[in-house]
Amino acid sequence: MTEPLLHIDDITVHYSRLAAIRGVSISVNEGEIVCVVGPNGAGKSTTLLTVSGILNPTSGNVMFAGNRINGMRPENVARLGISQVPEGRHVFTALTVEENLRVGAAMRKDKAQVNKDVKWVMDLFPILAERRRQSAGKLSGGEQQMLVIARALLTNPKIMTIDEPSLGLAPNIVDRVYEVLTTLRKERGLTLLIVEQSSERALKAADRIYVLRSGQIQLEGSAADLQDGEEVRKAYFGFSEGTEHLGEVEF
Amino acid sequence: MRDLLNNKNFRWALAAVIVVVGIIVAVTDPVRFQILITSLSEGSFYALAALGIGLLFGVLRLVNFAYGDWVMLGGYALIVPSAAVTSTLLIGSFFPALVVICIVGFTIIIALLSEATVFRPLRNTTPPTMMIASFALGYVLQNLIIMIYGGRPKSAGIFPELLQSIDLAEGVSVPLLKIVTIGVTAILLILLTLFLHRTSVGVQMRAAAEDFRMARMLGVRANLVIAMAFVISGSLASFVSLLYVSQLGIMTFRMGTPIIVFAFIATVIGGMGSLVGSVVGGMVVGVSSVVLKNILPDSIRGFSDAFVFAIVIAILLARPQGLVPAKSASERV
Repeated sequence: MTEPLLHIDDITVHYSRLAAIRGVSISVNEGEIVCVVGPNGAGKSTTLLTVSGILNPTSGNVMFAGNRINGMRPENVARLGISQVPEGRHVFTALTVEENLRVGAAMRKDKAQVNKDVKWVMDLFPILAERRRQSAGKLSGGEQQMLVIARALLTNPKIMTIDEPSLGLAPNIVDRVYEVLTTLRKERGLTLLIVEQSSERALKAADRIYVLRSGQIQLEGSAADLQDGEEVRKAYFGFSEGTEHLGEVEF
Repeated sequence: MRDLLNNKNFRWALAAVIVVVGIIVAVTDPVRFQILITSLSEGSFYALAALGIGLLFGVLRLVNFAYGDWVMLGGYALIVPSAAVTSTLLIGSFFPALVVICIVGFTIIIALLSEATVFRPLRNTTPPTMMIASFALGYVLQNLIIMIYGGRPKSAGIFPELLQSIDLAEGVSVPLLKIVTIGVTAILLILLTLFLHRTSVGVQMRAAAEDFRMARMLGVRANLVIAMAFVISGSLASFVSLLYVSQLGIMTFRMGTPIIVFAFIATVIGGMGSLVGSVVGGMVVGVSSVVLKNILPDSIRGFSDAFVFAIVIAILLARPQGLVPAKSASERV
């Protein structure tokens, strides 16, 4: 097997003295869709923010295409081709839709290709073309989710990490988001690392799944192997430990 | 009343009514017209100063009290460094356009040095820490000037032709400098707006001002955006400096303090971090200060600043977030 594109190698991340994740290892191969599922507070966002260089691991490494990237500035991580769509979307509400997209492409030098790509994402999400001159703050939640995915695509990423793309969206919008994501993989060979609370959705879209709970990986496997969901549920809720409840925040 | 004030359309309508009534009242009488020009000029001056503060706050959450001392340094750069009683013009003796270029360049260098030595190492600390550091920087700069130039006021007569009066209309005569101040501010505002909306770095800067972390995750270079904010803030300070020295012809090491106090108040009543707010706030402070000086009865005219501050308090009571609040005030990274 070849080297994974992204290899999160045994990382532990602390918020002051509290360990949010302990010894988490995740690898993503080129062209794969990998889903990390887990309850609220499991450390999913922490993991992604560490990949993006926002947080620094206290131990362990994040390797991208064979190079260590932990300790790098977030903008330099982004420039390597790792684009993150963080939780809560983070559109720039003071900017127009088009300006949001332009910020995504700001670091690129291939201006002709950027213009083509802007057209391409607007074809992908026609609503963005319709609203290009409008303030991004006026978009609905679903439209904002499309905008931030389009914006991340314009960085021309090798891998895109997405934190809870379905959060707060109507089911039909979530379907649309996942449809686009799987198309992107098929047509552009985009590698995706998606974090979700709902394991059902993740099982459908992903090639491989990791279950993260209480800051540790509880289970990993191919989506096909875990299809019936029983094992995932067990790992997700961890009901062998009687004190825990569904989705409880546990650090 | 507060509900009404929170309605954006109502606020713009109210502002428009005030401006239109003000202009109608002013143009019907030569003396009042003169007051209008003077107050617009004063407002422009504070708007410029407030923009320099508002911009840095927007991008960095830095309340930069050393800004007034950048203005002061820009002024002292006009004369030969010496403690002699009579000062000799240095940069100030150059060809006018060259004076402007040199002072702008000099102040930008001071701003960038301030960033590199003080604010960059403190970037990941809290806003109050950076604010205290800016006070400290301001004192260091003031004492540096005392060491080199001495503590006595220094004269620097630059652009004397600006102090000549020109006739705008029958019986309306104002110093050319007032018109120049309004014009310079208008041009700088247009340039700044074009930069922020039409250039890639400008758009990145607006994005970073709203959500710095997200901007960095899209590859926006923090150092570039922040350095650019210091460059712009520094060049605004240099224009404040040139306008101030042209007007008064005299400098002291403390000259930055009243400027920063009024400019800071302007950014607060305008809405911290909002550039439109800074301009509006500067205008409110400048216009009300000039108008009050002219309409108050002689016996209390000396206390006109107290009335300006009363207006400030009234505005803050009605709108604690400022007249034109910024869109976002998310945490820095």
